[in-house]
Amino acid sequence: MAIIEQAADELQALAASGPAVREAAPEDSGEAASWFQTAPMVIVLALFFGLPMLVVLVVSFFDFDRTDIIPTFILDNYVELFRSEVTLRLYASSLKFAFIVWAVTLVLGFNIAYFLVFHVRSLLWQIGLFLVCTVPFLTSNVIRMISWIPFLGRNGIFNQALEGAGIVNQPLEFLLFSDFAVIVAYVHLFTLFMVVPIFNSMARIDKSLLEAARDAGAGRFRVVAEIVLPLSRTGIALGSIFVITLVMGDSFVVRTMSGGQSASVVSALQNEVAGLQYPPAAASAVIMVIIVTLMVAGILRLVDVRKELAG
Amino acid sequence: MHSADDARPWTFYAFAAFFTLFVLFLYGPMIVIYILSFQGPSGGMTFPLNGVSLHWFGALISQTRVGDIAGSFVRSIGLAALVALVTVVLSVLAGLGFRRRFRGSAFAFYLAIASLIMPGLFVGLGIALAFRLLGLETSWYVSGLGAQLTWTLPFGLLIMFAVLGRFNRSYEEAAIDLGATNWQKLREVTLPMLLPGIIGVALFGFTLSYDELARTALTAGSENTLPLEIWAMTTNVTSPTLYAVGAVTTIVSFVVIVIALSSIAFIQRRRIRGARDATLASAE
Amino acid sequence: MDKPTGSGEVAVVGVTKRFGETVAVKDLSLTIPHGSYCCLLGPSGCGKTTILRMIAGHDKPTTGDIRIGGESVVGLPQVRRGTAMMFQSYALFPHRSVLDNVAFALKMRGAGLAERHGKARELLAKVQLEKFADRLPGQLSGGQQQRVALARALITNPRVLLLDEPLSALDEYLRLRMRGELRRVQKELGITFIHVTHTQLEAIAVADTVVVMANGRIEQAASARDIFVTPRNAYVARFVGGQNVLSGTVESTMNGTAAVASRNGARFAFPVDDPKPPRGSTIYGSIRRDRITIEKVPLGSKPPGGLNSVVGEVHTIENQGSYVKVTLDLSDSEEFVANLLDENFFKNPLDIGDRVVARWSASDVKLLDDGLGARAPIPAEAEVATAG
Repeated sequence: MAIIEQAADELQALAASGPAVREAAPEDSGEAASWFQTAPMVIVLALFFGLPMLVVLVVSFFDFDRTDIIPTFILDNYVELFRSEVTLRLYASSLKFAFIVWAVTLVLGFNIAYFLVFHVRSLLWQIGLFLVCTVPFLTSNVIRMISWIPFLGRNGIFNQALEGAGIVNQPLEFLLFSDFAVIVAYVHLFTLFMVVPIFNSMARIDKSLLEAARDAGAGRFRVVAEIVLPLSRTGIALGSIFVITLVMGDSFVVRTMSGGQSASVVSALQNEVAGLQYPPAAASAVIMVIIVTLMVAGILRLVDVRKELAG
Repeated sequence: MHSADDARPWTFYAFAAFFTLFVLFLYGPMIVIYILSFQGPSGGMTFPLNGVSLHWFGALISQTRVGDIAGSFVRSIGLAALVALVTVVLSVLAGLGFRRRFRGSAFAFYLAIASLIMPGLFVGLGIALAFRLLGLETSWYVSGLGAQLTWTLPFGLLIMFAVLGRFNRSYEEAAIDLGATNWQKLREVTLPMLLPGIIGVALFGFTLSYDELARTALTAGSENTLPLEIWAMTTNVTSPTLYAVGAVTTIVSFVVIVIALSSIAFIQRRRIRGARDATLASAE
Repeated sequence: MDKPTGSGEVAVVGVTKRFGETVAVKDLSLTIPHGSYCCLLGPSGCGKTTILRMIAGHDKPTTGDIRIGGESVVGLPQVRRGTAMMFQSYALFPHRSVLDNVAFALKMRGAGLAERHGKARELLAKVQLEKFADRLPGQLSGGQQQRVALARALITNPRVLLLDEPLSALDEYLRLRMRGELRRVQKELGITFIHVTHTQLEAIAVADTVVVMANGRIEQAASARDIFVTPRNAYVARFVGGQNVLSGTVESTMNGTAAVASRNGARFAFPVDDPKPPRGSTIYGSIRRDRITIEKVPLGSKPPGGLNSVVGEVHTIENQGSYVKVTLDLSDSEEFVANLLDENFFKNPLDIGDRVVARWSASDVKLLDDGLGARAPIPAEAEVATAG
């Protein structure tokens, strides 16, 4: 038939026009190699992160009784969450902490990074001091958190020092088991997450830009505002994402340091888990993830972070 | 650049003072714990010190009163070593894979980042629920291991990105040019040159696992890791044993960190980077 | 050192290389004779490094073939190609000693420790670096590193050595010295050298054949002398330097000469051969910068007319040691440069702003290819005698 003949002709023409030598396509074999190399990690993450998160989503629609969870599809858990006043209060509390800690760690982190990048001249000192900041991060979080208790308590070092110096007559109560203590602990634990990305961003700034600005007459603070700050945007964004997600997702610090007076979304969630109320806990988790994702997306809108992460 | 005798601006001193305060802030409380761990036998949880003794360190070893410290300690070290090993292998492989552009690379990348940012308790909850639904028991070397990997693998990957970003590919091309097969190239050139970064990944893998709490809370099964034991102690122990535990565990961390960092320093020192500029005076 | 076996003739046959959307090399053909020194010369992005890497096997041609000693080497592993490459950054392994670096290729082929260290030391002695055998590359100066890179490449007895801008990492003094070294080594070994550079004078200094490239194509492949003295077109003339490019419309032709009128009224005589360019067409010619005489035009007097001369203002004066480079500002945008012998210049020195007339003789003008549509194109393959 004509159509077959036509197809045969076209195929023949195609074959005849091929290259005289093997066509080079190194990219193909490279792609397969990359798949093999990234597969193990992707599999582990999919199994222990992707899948479990899907499970959480699914369970959030389940029902439950005193002993077990019942697979079904109900929206009750979500309805409860949205109706309850407690939810609002918990989020207010978590967001409050997140915001305050973010602000404090930003100021601290920026200044520390600035000091290390622009004021420390010897590379050896830069690395050394950077390590000094980083090493505590690599030791136990729990220990670092509770180490504030003897420090801030009524009979703690700080109060004793204050009384000894005559600044106060009786110990300051608000230091421990209060919002103040919670914030202090968060700042202690998480400032490094702000320092590292900002340090990274700042280190990439060409120093001669600053000199050019000074040449053009900019004073010290103008140089920081006009040059350093904008060029560290990415680091600030990354650090903010880290700090905010860490604070929002925490339950241990807020429990311990507030002495049970304050709560966060996740600590309430932990209570539900302890009470075997998995579906509501799951629903709470899903809502939290959505809210935090929106916050992160908001931050990413302001800054393009991929370039920096991918080196 | 600055010459050695450039006067420093006043802001330097302001910053330096600020930095010192920050370092004190970081280390101060821990030092307090160390001091308090030497509390005398009749002393309490805070100052003043009633004598100096190793009494509370001794209390660590006797299991009955304070839970299973020794057991959880061994488990934590074992788990951390395992996590470090797995993290190194998987992160290095994946890091090498990400050097090329490939379909699905964006997915893999965002998967890792999401895993990094997700609150640990949620991941732990998810794994515990998944195991429950599948009828499996959680245990520290399966579900606990998996949970911790979701935290260490993204870190490892980011470190590999940083290290590979600085790695000049012409070394690998030179190796191929001189006749190396892919495997020889990896063994003789790529991996040895990446060794400092790989040690860094191992360091992070170990310490992040060793100190991990949130992810392991729901996935460790019936046998606790050390951080979980410590956490339990914070709520129901009223003696300085807790401080002794804190001192011991942080010392272990420090030892591991020092070993890793000195290995890196040692390796870097051996490979002096950068040629000195050719000068007329240098012996040609 | 043993001479390599097999011919080192390199033939690039109709090679095209695409990287995604960009075409780096367009249907390029080139034959480099065995044992010759060939320089690929051109600006960044012209495709010279791409060609080199394809000959080395680090990239594969999208279409076309590459043959060494007559056999196709596309897709062959390193061991079978007989090529070795010297990288621009040297790429010496920083974690291995100089000795281990040089011995690396032998280690890859499974040679024993004593054997490969022995051969490596021999080679290091040849480049006068035997004392540095146990040092790390980072402890050597740039020139020393380059010699190690050379030794490392030569240990495999390649038939073709590929050099990717080998001198650009060195400072000026070393660069000039090492040129001679490379040439000397090549002659001693008798193998083919292919050397990529963007420095015109370097290419002319070392090469038997210079291949001038632009935009993935060969503009001219000829001996170093021919490239300089008879550039094929305006691009080569301008890139290699040492020439001024003249252009204008043909007014008449007679007896192998064309009368040409330039845009701003100057009149030139170009030697032409058959087929004669038609009246009204634009043709181009080049005149060597050192075949020009300059005379001051006294203030107030009319600038002299005359064939084969231009009038202009002195724009810059650059002392180059044995000659002085005088750039003239003509009324059109073409740069016009005269290289005057230093004694001649300083006898009657010029100042910036002086009005001068530049003259040359018609027989020194060479016709360029541009604008000659009817002329048969000169084949771009290298047809050069072997080194000697």
